[in-house]
Amino acid sequence: MIKNKQNLIAIFLVILFGISLFYVGTDGFKAYTAETARTNKLMEEKPKLPLVTLEDSNKRSYSFSEFEGKYVLMTFIYTSCTDVCLQLEVNAAEVYNSIPQKYIGENIVFLSISFDPATDTPDQLDKYRSYFKSDGETWRMARIPNQKELDTVLEELGVIVIPDGNGNFTHNSAFYLAGPDGKLLEVMDYKKTEEAAKKVTDILDNEVEG
Amino acid sequence: MKQAIYGLVLYVFLMLPPVASLAESIMTVHMHMQMPLFVIAGMLMAPYLKQRFPGFFSKWNHNGVPGILLFFIIMVYWMLPRAMDEALAYQSVEIFKFISLPFLAGVPLRDSWNKLGSIGQNVILVSFSIISGLMAWLYIFSPTQLCNNYLKVEQITLGWAFLFLGLSIIIYFVQQFFVDQSQYE
Repeated sequence: MIKNKQNLIAIFLVILFGISLFYVGTDGFKAYTAETARTNKLMEEKPKLPLVTLEDSNKRSYSFSEFEGKYVLMTFIYTSCTDVCLQLEVNAAEVYNSIPQKYIGENIVFLSISFDPATDTPDQLDKYRSYFKSDGETWRMARIPNQKELDTVLEELGVIVIPDGNGNFTHNSAFYLAGPDGKLLEVMDYKKTEEAAKKVTDILDNEVEG
Repeated sequence: MKQAIYGLVLYVFLMLPPVASLAESIMTVHMHMQMPLFVIAGMLMAPYLKQRFPGFFSKWNHNGVPGILLFFIIMVYWMLPRAMDEALAYQSVEIFKFISLPFLAGVPLRDSWNKLGSIGQNVILVSFSIISGLMAWLYIFSPTQLCNNYLKVEQITLGWAFLFLGLSIIIYFVQQFFVDQSQYE
């Protein structure tokens, strides 16, 4: 009988251990993939965009302070990408077109940042830009030429980029929205364009009216 | 005793940094080779541990249920996409993997298996194949990239490997009813 009692206690302890393991491992049953965990954490921390130099498709160089006072919707891409980036940019275009015209350029700027500065020269970005009917002004495409600075941005925003050595990259994708103060506000699912457009429009409505 | 040494050698070999990083560079190898090998290393070391601490196993894992539950929890935990990513991102999670798979899954599995009896064993086989099937479905049809460290195509490969695993378990399960084991013993 005593043996059975210990057996029962062991079952109880194992179940307790299992629940705590899964609780800790999924941030309280909220994040089953590292990507969800990452975005949850980013939205909590709201990091400030680091000081780096961007070079856009019009060969202009500036830092994120260029967009001070405006919201910035960012995506991270590389132009030789054949799958996710295309979808990401098509979806970004969808959001761009769903936001009321009056805000575009005035209150919000779209920015696609390449994490492959070696291939994505301004000329290459200019070509890529035209595929998505980006005007290069209210929707800019830029690279961060300095690898160190690029790494800082990727690290700060939790963008994981793994080169496979053949010019392709494994990477995660999302819409990143930074506020007028240059701090990250939202990380949105790039597949839910309507939801993202609505969220951004609501934020802009509040900003302009409030 | 010999088994325990083989287990220990396998265990240490798997933990060598170049071996570990090579195994982890391919998603399917990470999940379906490295992890099971850790479990096997634990299983090989189980008899020695049972010899050392006979009271512990017979008292706390009397009917095998606590052990098999622990085995299940650890296995399901390592099937989470996030667990795989974090093992690559954080040293602490990697160490937890190295400890949990052999000692919290391999050892209790071997200790529990014979204690369970054939009904218990069949329940485990069937539930494990169902979980494998679910994982196959998840990894093959997931519209998103589940692991940040692996490409989507690797994820789909992993899904098929899960399906293969699930089917293999089912085949094993079914053959028991048609093959008379005693003829081979």
